[in-house]
Amino acid sequence: MLQTEQVYKVLDPRGQSTGVFEPASMAPRLDALDGKTVYLVDVGFGGGYEFLEEMTGWFSRNMPAVRTILRRKKGNMFLDDPNLWAEIKEKGHAVIFAVGG
Amino acid sequence: MVTARFAEYVERDSRNHGMNLRFSFPPFPVVGMSQAVLRKYVEGNDPVTGKPLMQEVMDALTKPLTEQEKNAVRAPKPARQRMLTQDTEENLQRLFLENGWTDGLPIVLPTEERVAEMLTGTSHDPDEAVGLMTITTLQEKMAYTVEKVAINAVMAGARPEHLPVILAIASTQEPSMPSSTTSFARMVIVNGPIRDEIGMNAGVGALSPFNFANSAIGRAWTMMSINLADAKLGDTFMGSQGNNLNYNNMCCAENEEKSIWEPFHVQKGFKADESVVSLFRGWSVINSMGAANCRRPANEETAIMLGAFAGLRSAATLIMDPLVAKGLKDQGFGTKQDVARWLSEHVKMPAGQYWGADIIYSFIAPLARQGIEPYASWSKLPDDELVTPFHDPSQINIVIVGGETNPLWLTTDFLYTQSASVDKWRPKGGIRRDARPMRMPADDGCSDGTCGLPS
Repeated sequence: MLQTEQVYKVLDPRGQSTGVFEPASMAPRLDALDGKTVYLVDVGFGGGYEFLEEMTGWFSRNMPAVRTILRRKKGNMFLDDPNLWAEIKEKGHAVIFAVGG
Repeated sequence: MVTARFAEYVERDSRNHGMNLRFSFPPFPVVGMSQAVLRKYVEGNDPVTGKPLMQEVMDALTKPLTEQEKNAVRAPKPARQRMLTQDTEENLQRLFLENGWTDGLPIVLPTEERVAEMLTGTSHDPDEAVGLMTITTLQEKMAYTVEKVAINAVMAGARPEHLPVILAIASTQEPSMPSSTTSFARMVIVNGPIRDEIGMNAGVGALSPFNFANSAIGRAWTMMSINLADAKLGDTFMGSQGNNLNYNNMCCAENEEKSIWEPFHVQKGFKADESVVSLFRGWSVINSMGAANCRRPANEETAIMLGAFAGLRSAATLIMDPLVAKGLKDQGFGTKQDVARWLSEHVKMPAGQYWGADIIYSFIAPLARQGIEPYASWSKLPDDELVTPFHDPSQINIVIVGGETNPLWLTTDFLYTQSASVDKWRPKGGIRRDARPMRMPADDGCSDGTCGLPS
């Protein structure tokens, strides 16, 4: 590149941050999981359901007092499933979403 | 839970959303692993923290919330200053390159004078909001104005005459490089009078680097995706291999003059004299590899090629030399839709092959489980029963591009996403051409009608 002392003023090419998201606080945690119902929700990435099957097995072997419910989220990984969220709020005590990526 | 490969990505994403989610990270990848491997993942350690994975899950569900977790607050990012620091050309080229604001090649520095000149290419106010964009699906979108688009157009080497097309692309709010690990390709096709006004190439070599407008506009979409949609390698852009079509996005014009069929934008509801950009998204392009509608008709050859694709959403786009269209018409295909209909019925693959594709598993299997047809019925078929993955002819597109040096074509798995008007971005006095417009050598070998099939 040619060496030159001439200076230039240039404009920033980047878009502006919008901050369009409203922050959300987390739900209270449980004291313990024994006797509780934990939903395991496959969000739709490949292999997620099979991974959660193994997690369900882990709970059966190691924490049999925990009731697990394995579910697939409706639609693909980018879609909402408000009916399932309502069901979990009504019938579950905790939820594990897996596996992203 | 998110695979370890995406640990930084999701933690940053949740911060951007003002949330402090508790993640646990099994090893990567999960897809394609046997149950035995997945069990080892579950019983093993989180590779990010080195701690037992299931203990982390227990802690995530039972450890009391911190004050920060109870009271999520999103720290607003300061607005970016309009001007960057003043420096020499060498230092500024380095600044842009090292910050990842380019495609790796030298840029035209967006000085105030150059951007002001670029803005003469439209009548719209520089501060007018054009849209919001992100290369990710759910992360914070970046806002951009007409001036921001002009800055990126300057960087791409474009001239003011190209700006209305570039603004039309920007107005779609679609980036050219989606974040996906799967490394998408994009294509932009231009229709209408603007093609000739700015000297676009729809003929010989339209998809090769022999035309200023095709090159500059395609590159500008990439620049906008980097700077306006926040594409950062390994940060927001996760394409495992990437896609070299990202450099130019197959930017070209449809050869309406040589086409025997309706222009693409007219198919989408625009008038023939309107200027329009149309966008496509997919992964794969197969050249017809010398198949010239001779030994085997183009429709049958295309059906064989489409068998290589998964058939996601029934989407396919054929980019045909005008001679292919003429040949198909001679075989009885009167319209683009006739070809699409034939392909929708004749491309077949075993159900086992269809459902065995990971992308079908991820996106179509959920539809089958919801009872949506034909997928619900297909999911019950034996593996060797044939299905028609490109069953919806409305999702099979044809664009005519090429210079009639041979009746060849490209078969792609591209999905048509949307079209946008170029005309709304034109300057009031007409397209702002340079006194002597910059044009590369053009091929005019067939302009006298001495080549090609009789029409």
